[in-house]
Amino acid sequence: MSYGRVVLSAILAMFLLLFVAADLVLFGVLPLNSVIVTILPLAGLVIGAMLGVMARNRRSASPPNAQPLPPSAAQPAV
Amino acid sequence: MKFRYLSLGAVALGFVIGGSASHANADVPGGSGCQGSATWSEDGLTVVAETDGGPYTIPRSDTVAWEGSVAAAPGVYSGSVWVDLPPPFGKVEIDNWGGDSQTTSNSGAQEYDFPSLVPAGVEFELSGEHIDENGGCSASIKLEIDGGPFDSPIAPISLGGTAVFALLTGLALKPLFVKVI
Repeated sequence: MSYGRVVLSAILAMFLLLFVAADLVLFGVLPLNSVIVTILPLAGLVIGAMLGVMARNRRSASPPNAQPLPPSAAQPAV
Repeated sequence: MKFRYLSLGAVALGFVIGGSASHANADVPGGSGCQGSATWSEDGLTVVAETDGGPYTIPRSDTVAWEGSVAAAPGVYSGSVWVDLPPPFGKVEIDNWGGDSQTTSNSGAQEYDFPSLVPAGVEFELSGEHIDENGGCSASIKLEIDGGPFDSPIAPISLGGTAVFALLTGLALKPLFVKVI
């Protein structure tokens, strides 16, 4: 079972929401000492991991090679 | 400086402790009878020692005339001024003071100039505490530097980081956006 995608998604989402938190502070939406600044990156870590699991499951559920069937199989002999 | 606590007390009681345009001083909460005020010379803003904590918009650079006092000879004293950061980072101490004195008041002027890296329009909380043999007092004030977010290069950098990580996160989660038959 590969956890690479889950870990990668969690880390990227954490940094994404860290920058979103920084944006909210820099644009005056949140004060500097707001606890939301701390919560957002942690939420990103959790949400990113959850989405990573979903992405991994979605990827494993899809057919690995969606190749067209050979003509002989597609058209059974009469 | 022997009475340095009073200058910082004034900054603490002027910067730190909220106020209004009135010049009438009021006691800072606590048992030492702390009073203080600070006036921005170019901006004209006057902050006095009251319980109202702002937020106040201050210029990026100015000179602050301050004054501070306690009700009785402080004896052994200590105190500090700090900026509160988001948890769990705690606080960044700007300055502290301590010693032994019988002087009850002091005044002066302090020039400051925030570098352009410090973002404008961001509300931050400045807090201060003073403790002496008569008790102590503490308070906080919300401040923000006059200007917009793009006065500092930090805002475009942060926006760029948001865009980059949004793209990377989208790529990592690409299977979620691909239609599965």
